[in-house]
This record gives sequence, C-alpha cells and structure tokens, in this order.
Amino acid sequence: MYGMIHRAMRQMVHEELGEEAWLALEQKLEIGPTELLTGMVYDDALTLEIVAEAAARLNLSVDQTLEAFGQYWVRFAGQGSLSSIMKFTGQNLASFIANLDRLHLAVGAAMPGARLPAFTTLESAPGHLVVEYRSDRVGMEPFVKGLLQGLMDRFHACGEIAVVHRGEKSILFDIRYQDKD
Amino acid sequence: MLLSFSEKQIGALLPAFLHIDKQLNISAMGPGILRHLPHVRVGMPCAEAFTIVNYDTTQFFQEGVNVQPVSLIARDSDLHLNGAAIFHEAGCLLAVRFAITEEMFADSSMDLSDFGHADPVILSTMLIVLQRAMLEESQANAIELAHERQRSAELLERTSRVAGYMAHDFNNLLSVIRLNTDRLSRQFGKDEKIGKLAEIIQEMAARGSEITQSLMTLSLQRTDTRQPLSVDQVIQDNMGILDSVVGSNITLKLNLDADGHKSVVSYSDFLNALINLLINAREAMPMGGQIALSSSVGFGLIKGDGDADADVTQSGSYIAIQIADTGVGMSDALLSRAFEPQFSSKPNGTGLGLASVRNFAVEMGGDVWLESVEGKGSTAYLHLPVARTVAPLVAAGSGAPNTGAPAVLDKQRILLVEDEPYALEALVEMLEAEGYAVTACSSGEEALIALGQDAYDVLLTDVVMPGQNGTEVARDACIVQPSMKVILMSGYVPDSAAFQPGWLFLHKPIESAKLLQLIAA
Ligand code: HEM
Repeated sequence: MYGMIHRAMRQMVHEELGEEAWLALEQKLEIGPTELLTGMVYDDALTLEIVAEAAARLNLSVDQTLEAFGQYWVRFAGQGSLSSIMKFTGQNLASFIANLDRLHLAVGAAMPGARLPAFTTLESAPGHLVVEYRSDRVGMEPFVKGLLQGLMDRFHACGEIAVVHRGEKSILFDIRYQDKD
Repeated sequence: MLLSFSEKQIGALLPAFLHIDKQLNISAMGPGILRHLPHVRVGMPCAEAFTIVNYDTTQFFQEGVNVQPVSLIARDSDLHLNGAAIFHEAGCLLAVRFAITEEMFADSSMDLSDFGHADPVILSTMLIVLQRAMLEESQANAIELAHERQRSAELLERTSRVAGYMAHDFNNLLSVIRLNTDRLSRQFGKDEKIGKLAEIIQEMAARGSEITQSLMTLSLQRTDTRQPLSVDQVIQDNMGILDSVVGSNITLKLNLDADGHKSVVSYSDFLNALINLLINAREAMPMGGQIALSSSVGFGLIKGDGDADADVTQSGSYIAIQIADTGVGMSDALLSRAFEPQFSSKPNGTGLGLASVRNFAVEMGGDVWLESVEGKGSTAYLHLPVARTVAPLVAAGSGAPNTGAPAVLDKQRILLVEDEPYALEALVEMLEAEGYAVTACSSGEEALIALGQDAYDVLLTDVVMPGQNGTEVARDACIVQPSMKVILMSGYVPDSAAFQPGWLFLHKPIESAKLLQLIAA
C-alpha cells in the first residue's frame, strides 16, 4: 500500500504507545523513513508486517488492530490537509458512503498505483444502510468495519455494523444507527 | 426526441439544474438547489430568485437560441452558478453547476452530492487538494530522511572515533613492544634462544599492527608515512602504472629534470595526484594524442600567479611537474571550475579527481593549476616545495641497527617528546645507540621549556598527548628554531591536528629502521 497508509499507522502507534514503541517496531522490522514515503507504493506484505508488529505491541490481534486502524484512519484523514476533502466528500453518513467512490476516484488520479475499493449503497433508509464493499484484496473486512465505525463516530452516530454476506470479492455490511445529537 | 430523461436523472447529472418555462417561471430544479436555496420553489418567477448575469431577463427568450453560455447569481446568497442555457419549445434548461473555488472546499456547506459525477472541476480540485496534502507529507518525509542521514553519519563518526582511539592505544602498546624487542635483539641477540624469542615477538607485533591497520581504515586515518621523496624516482618507478593509465592510443613522453630533488609527501598521495592529472589529460583526448610529463626545479613563488593567497612564505625552491596534453583544451569557464569538488565536465565524471589533487597540493604546501588553449590542449602545473635538507652533522643512521659503532662527527641533537614512558625509554636508548644526542621529554610542556634552552636539529614528537599536543609543540618549535626538522609519530591523528607542509610523519607502531631512515633523510 501507499506510504501514506504507513504514516497513518505510525501516527496511531505514536498516539497509543508513544514514539519509542514505534522506533522499536522500526528496529524490529529493519525499516525506517524509507518505508514511510508518502508517494511510494509498498508491497502489501510490508504493510501487513507493520500491522502485525503493531498488534503485538498494542496487545491486540491482527484483526483487532486492522479494525482499530480503520477507525483511526477516518480521524487521521479528518485532520490536517486531508480534512477539507473529507468534509467535501459528505456531510452525513449516508451521503459520505455514497460519495466514497468519487473520493477514491480522485485518490486514484493522485496515486496511480493504488488498488482502491468500491462501495455501493444497496439500501438506504433513515438509520439503516446496506453497503457492499468490493476489493481485489482479501482480509480487509476488519479494516472496513473499523472504517465504517470511524465514519459513524465522525457523524456522531451510534449503532451496529454487521456483516450480512461474504462473497468472493465482496462483503455486505448492514449498518443500523442513530444520530446521537 | 432521441433521448428523454426524468428530472431525477437530470438531477443526478446536474444537481443544480433549473428549468424555466416561457413565462420565465421556474418549472423544475435539481436537488442541489433544494438543499442550498430552500426558499426557491417551483412556480416562482426566475427573476425573483436569480439574476441572470449575461441576459436581459425580459429579452431572455428573444435573445437566446439553441445552446448559450449562462451565468446566474442567487439573490439571497452569493451563490454563483454557471453553465449552459439549452433552449427548446417548452422553455429553457439551465444546465448549470455551483461555481466553487478551492477555498470554498473547506468551509462550504456543499459536498460532492451537489456536483455531477463527471464534473471535471471537482475532480481536478480534489486532485489539487490531495496533491497538496501529499506534498506536505513529502516535505516531512524529506526532513525525516535528512535526520536519518545525519543520525547514521553521527553513528559512523562515533564509531570511527572510537576505532581511532582504540587504534591509538593499541599502536602505542605495539610501539613499546617493538622498540623494546629491538632493544632485546640489539643487546642479547647473539644468544640464539633470545634472538629467536625476539623474532617471535616481532612477528606477533607485526600481526597486531595489521589489526590496527583495519581499525585505522575504519576511522579514515592516514597511515601513510610522509617523507622526503625524489619526485623523478617515484615517476620512474611507476612508469608501468602511469603508461596503463593513459592507455594505448596516447603516447606518454617523459622529460624528468628535477635532478633527484625531494619533496615531503606521502608516496601514495603523490602517485594518486599524478594519476588523476593523467586521467584528466587522457579524457581530453578521446581520439588519442600525446602527453608530455616533465619535471624541473624552480625558485620563486610556489603558487600559481592567479592566487591572491600567495604570500612570501610560499616562495622558495620548488619542484615543477607539468602534464601537457594535445587535447581539445578547455574554455575559461571550465578552467575556472575544474578544481571544484563535484564539478565534472564529463558525463560520468565524479568531479573528485582534480579536487583531490588540489587538496593534496595545498596540504603539501604547493599548488596546482591548469592552463589551456582551446583546440590546442591543456597543461597542468603541479608545484611542490623542495624538502629542506638538514646538513648532516653526523654520518650516522645507516638505517640498519647493529652495524657497528656509528662514525659520529658531531652529534645531531634530537628533541624527543613521548608521553608513554616505556616507549620514551626504548627510543632514547635506540637513538643514543645510533649516535644521536637525545633530550627526552615526557610532555609537550617539558619540550617547550627545552626548546627555549637549547638548539636542536630534529624534533621527534608523539602527536596525541595530554596538555600540549605534538602539533602544537611542532608549530612552536618551527617558530623558535625554523631550521629544525620535524618528525611526528602517532597511531592516531585527530582531525584537528593540522600538519604543516614539510613535516614528516611516521605511523606507529614505530619500526626502528624506518625512523632512523627518516631522521637521516
Ligand atoms: C481523504 C481520505 C482518503 C484517502 C486519501 C484515501 C486513500 C486511500 C489509499 C491511498 C488507499 C490504499 C490503496 C493502495 O495503496 O493500494 C486506500 C485504501 C482504502 N480505502 Fe481509502 N482513502 C481515504 C478515505 C477513505 C475512507 C473514509 C474510507 C472508508 C470506508 C476508505 C476506505 C478504504 C479501503 C477499504 C481501502 C482498502 C483497499 C482495499 O480494500 O483494497 N478510504 N485509501
């Protein structure tokens, strides 16, 4: 994955465990700033190694870490220079999810090596969404669950996310939520 | 009609569209208008909600035909819309979009749903925002990489410093072992058993010396002896290498006339300088040609005439080496930059060759420069000071110990400074045995006092010592007694120790024979 993702992972470890923990992780994996170059595409294997090593340090399973990272990513992108684009993508949960592919379309233009997911809203009613996630990657279900949870947090909603179907290249998420405010 | 779309479909393509009938009333509108201009209603006169910037509203249908550009401003807000007015029998479709700037991105209440899927402005604006974010991160990347480089450089420097100190201590020990073993063989070598044991110890010390050599390499230390060398001799001894450097389609002509004069240089540095100058000449003659390598002795200013730094102390006898090619020559612009580090006129040149020659020449108290005539060729001038010769007062120092009693005419006086007591003792004994008059000092401070009291022919000093170090002593000695020969010896030379041109240098562990040779040179 793009180095941008690695940098977000580093930021999460910094915030959760401090800078020392990240430096120890770097040492263990024999990586450094050259593996954190924003515009560089790295093998997914490296990204997963980083996640696994972070998991060990966070005392979580790899899946739990992926989920936490998904949730963190929404917060990460919501700050700093990506914040305007996040805001522009949608101002409520349903419209944000409906526009995610358009966001990633622009991401694909800026980062030509990215393998980006597709999200389709199959059902949309107040407080209820059925969203199909498609990707040529496998094993990303916990990450997507975390991302969706992060989006609920972003829009001050609370509720349940359930996987209702797992296909070969797609997963159906059922989201039931209520606005907190 | 070929195609017909529902309002919803048009709204998906153009969320801010409007339709007005022939009476200029709004008859349909997209979801974007509903969201952002909630007071606008179907049936409302268009002019009540919008100003059409580029039309007189009353003349709208008279002026407009087919498809025309159109620009609207909402009356109750500063929202701008622009696009095309598509005229048809039943009225006009205003295929407009909200005009949005990048600044509005962050604080506008609009989002992607307010724009059509294929809206190129939105796509490119998002692209710009993303690229800016990436650029910001890349700047952070660059800083991180620079820090990382600095960290590794610091680590390397620390390692090399530690290696240097270790080599220093180890070399001192080896020096004591070597010098004392020499002492043993000198005094008891006739006893075969002792002689054999001394030989074993010498051999082991030599191996230890190889280990320190690797430490020295790690700490980028100079290990080369600086000694007076006959320039012509070095050139002649290395003709094989020099010939192969210039290659087979270039003839190398020699005209050596430095008459056995010597300059104080390190052998390998001097050879490297020659090789670099020859490479430079060769590169100017891709089609072949001739290089004339000549040497002579001159007197006057050592530095090239263009050098403003030239001072009177730089005048004296010098050995002039010239390397003249018959190549393409260099322009003035190239000439003026030829010795800059990292500057190269060749596509695959490193730009380090000539820069290193200049470093060498300056460090030795000389100079190097180029002169050139475009189309005719260039000549490199390398000037090196002639080594001072101390008139030998003594026919001592045959170089090999134990050659019988030296024929002492008048004893040469050596001021010896060494803080390691065992090394000092062994050196004193060895030098006295060779017929020298030795004044031994165990610190720089002691040496300075001695310098004030007596005259000496040679200063032989360790470099790294607590208090006044060897280079400081040597500098003062040269001021007090300028004719004195300076020989520095060390197993470690810190970067801060600047050697003056003409000072000799011997690397520890000391070999007695080599030391005697330098004293006599
Ligand atoms: C400004 C915000 C965002 C940016 C810049 C961004 C960018 C990216 C990038 C660079 C990748 C990695 C692709 C690769 O290297 O192959 C990626 C992957 C992904 N993104 Fe986003 N993204 C953003 C927001 C989101 C949000 C809010 C979601 C929420 C659902 C999301 C869902 C995903 C998923 C699920 C993947 C994994 C790809 C896969 O499954 O194959 N992204 N994104």
